[in-house]
Amino acid sequence: MGLSKPIAEFDTVKTWGEGLRKQWGGDPLAEEPEMVEALRDFCDFAGEDPDSIIAKLFRIRKEDGERVLSVKWRRHYADKVKEFRAQGDGKNQRRGADVLSFLIHNGVLIQG
Amino acid sequence: MEFQQVLGIRRSIRYFEPDKPVEQEKIQKILEAMRIASCAVNAHWLKAVVVKRHDISAEDLEKMKNPVQANVIALAPVHIYLYGDPGVVNKYKGARLKQLFDYGALNPTHGWSHKFVDETVYPQILKPLTETPVYPIALAFDCGIAACQGLLMAFDLGLGACLTAFLQEVVKKYTKVPDDWIPFYQINVGYRAESAEAGGQRPRPPFEEQYFLNHFGQTFPRDPKVVKELEESKMFTTPARPDNGERRKEIRDLARRLNLPM
Repeated sequence: MGLSKPIAEFDTVKTWGEGLRKQWGGDPLAEEPEMVEALRDFCDFAGEDPDSIIAKLFRIRKEDGERVLSVKWRRHYADKVKEFRAQGDGKNQRRGADVLSFLIHNGVLIQG
Repeated sequence: MEFQQVLGIRRSIRYFEPDKPVEQEKIQKILEAMRIASCAVNAHWLKAVVVKRHDISAEDLEKMKNPVQANVIALAPVHIYLYGDPGVVNKYKGARLKQLFDYGALNPTHGWSHKFVDETVYPQILKPLTETPVYPIALAFDCGIAACQGLLMAFDLGLGACLTAFLQEVVKKYTKVPDDWIPFYQINVGYRAESAEAGGQRPRPPFEEQYFLNHFGQTFPRDPKVVKELEESKMFTTPARPDNGERRKEIRDLARRLNLPM
């Protein structure tokens, strides 16, 4: 699946970049372009774009209108990342961690 | 290592060398340290089951993860699962207290006798306590004391350690503990992948907010000379600080080496 626009133009990718800059200093996405490539490949793998992935991970709770993490979709994408990491004879271990980084900086609590 | 130095170097270590095994004798020393901990009525509620991570199937390890401890349990080579055994009080019916009497720890000077234990302490205090809702709190407090000694021993032995929660149903497949045991925490143990300082001593609330003299509201006076002495003895070490570039570099390097997200 091709993305509808350059990956760097998605809001959630901008949020990721900001989070990384704030956390680590410098501009990690520019310094390590393979991180963005990993996310692009993951989007291909999942058949979705970055913003739609994050949008699905949050829902509005009926009771109080709060924006909360969706347990169902968190599990779904955690499994997707595991599948992605398992590809490529271990080479995707690092790339999967980059996808987790994208999720974490968009507020999705998720570990390996 | 000196005692105060051990207190000073203890941190919650979350980055372990995943493939560096911990020697059996070091694990034993951690358990031995727990065993000699202070314990109310000599009950010894704490039980611990050691499981080496490589003995856990990959599938089960996945099931044991929760969103906040996943990477810690995946990296730590040794998991020590801590439980409280609520049955010990009614199993021993004061016998362990009488043992303390026989060994001279409890004495008539303080009002103790076998008769007092048999006629008063067990039937009128301990047994009823086991039937109250506060009983698990009392035993949890004691288990915490013992667990703390184990934690400190790990650091004295040059290891790192960190307490995390565990998912009891999955873990029970390995530990096979009795149904009435109360699950508490697991101590994750291993050789540190991060530095011993691990970014420095972590922030704590002000002393004055926590400790009082005579009554709540009157803070216990904190003598700066004592603080200085504790700095000299290395109980107080370099404090952690926000936006610590060195620490961030350390974590970034660890993230790369251990395939963790940045």
